[in-house]
Amino acid sequence: MKTMKKAAAMILGAAMAMSMAAGAFASEIASVDDLEGKTIGVQMGTTGDIYATDAYGDENVKRFDKGAQAVMALQQGKVDCVIIDLEPAKKFVEANEGLKILDEDFALEEYAIAVSKDRPELTEAINGALDQMKADGVLDDIIKNYIGDDTKGKFPYESAENIDRSNGTLIMATNAAFEPYEYYDGEKIVGIDADMAQAVCDLLGYELQISDMEFRSIINAVQTGKADIGVAGMTVTEDRLKNIDFTDPYTTARQVIIVKE
Amino acid sequence: MSFTERFSLNFIESNRYRYITAGIKNTLLITVVAAAIGILLGFLIAIIRSTHEKTGKLKLLDLICRLYLTVIRGTPTTVQLMIVYFVIFSSVDRPLLSAFIAFGLNSAAYVAEIVRSGIMSIDPGQMEAGRSLGLSYRATMAYIIIPQAFKNVLPALANEFIVLLKETSICMAISLRDLTYGTSLISSQTYDYMFPLLLGAAIYLFFVMLLTWLFGKMERRLRQNER
Repeated sequence: MKTMKKAAAMILGAAMAMSMAAGAFASEIASVDDLEGKTIGVQMGTTGDIYATDAYGDENVKRFDKGAQAVMALQQGKVDCVIIDLEPAKKFVEANEGLKILDEDFALEEYAIAVSKDRPELTEAINGALDQMKADGVLDDIIKNYIGDDTKGKFPYESAENIDRSNGTLIMATNAAFEPYEYYDGEKIVGIDADMAQAVCDLLGYELQISDMEFRSIINAVQTGKADIGVAGMTVTEDRLKNIDFTDPYTTARQVIIVKE
Repeated sequence: MSFTERFSLNFIESNRYRYITAGIKNTLLITVVAAAIGILLGFLIAIIRSTHEKTGKLKLLDLICRLYLTVIRGTPTTVQLMIVYFVIFSSVDRPLLSAFIAFGLNSAAYVAEIVRSGIMSIDPGQMEAGRSLGLSYRATMAYIIIPQAFKNVLPALANEFIVLLKETSICMAISLRDLTYGTSLISSQTYDYMFPLLLGAAIYLFFVMLLTWLFGKMERRLRQNER
């Protein structure tokens, strides 16, 4: 019995020493230059994943199903930093103590709407609608309504009355876990992307229907016609263009680095 | 895009086939190690449980085993995997070890009940005969009961290991590069979903067929004395 206790104490001691060692060697990242050779946590398939893999090699990138899991891994020291879009990053840092966002951005990117390659006329029509929204300021107001401390909540988008919606339903595939672009407010999916898609539908005469799914299923849904458009803060890349079309960009976003304080 | 273009984009460009080969390696490694843990621990639990049921001894051990079965069979494998990785190994980064433990413990619970059903299915007369011939309880179990039970439960065990092989596809939750991780990663880079998905499915099917064939061979071998 005594030896067993001793053994148990030794195992416990070893485990504690290991966890302390893991904490003590936490690497310091102060800017983008320090990322070389560090373990980077990302959400699979996001721009952070693609850029980090290109720049620092596949073996240094740890991919998770959800951004939240990557952030949890960061807190436990399993990754040295997390690369993710600025707006969700703010929410993660707010909700978890001991994390901060580096001042220096990792990358700038442009979001666009994904449309099936079989429907160039829809891509054209949406581009037209986006141009009009950019020209009359509707798009700016939608973004201002969600981003910016002074403007938040002050420019809610509302559809005009008596809109002719005779063109039928336009199904938008998204992953509603990406505040402020798309997220649940009660039962309803709201956010910049949701409002922007609503505004596009108002101009083109469609009824908007939002369908929430896994991020990695969105493109598949658009390709197979289960959804008409994919709107989920998606960035255009060369490889993606081979399988799907994108509209003109509707907003720019920043990829940032979250580290432990 | 033509078939060859799609094939080249998904598997040749940027050496993407490496995601698949690395994934196969991990999927098989996890399956083999977890199956080994499952067999060892599963047989142990099955013997404890059936001994308790037959003789009324080992009360405390039986209680512990029953608690274990209840917890492991009562919670989803994904959740168990994430608990091992994020809670038990919270301060170190050991995804592969976490997977061995989570899948091994999970498989053990199912193997235990399969083996127990085998042991309980052997006629009580066999035990009585062994004991009257002067064999100890342990010897009767090891040389008479378990070998017959093993033969009976082989198809059910094959079933469990097939499920285990396919269940490793949830490893993505702890960022472990299994086969499904590889195919998802390719899709996320090329935005082509059908192609990697179908290839992944074909690879799983191939290994399950291999497993089925191996177990079939073993079954036939064990049945030879019946002729």
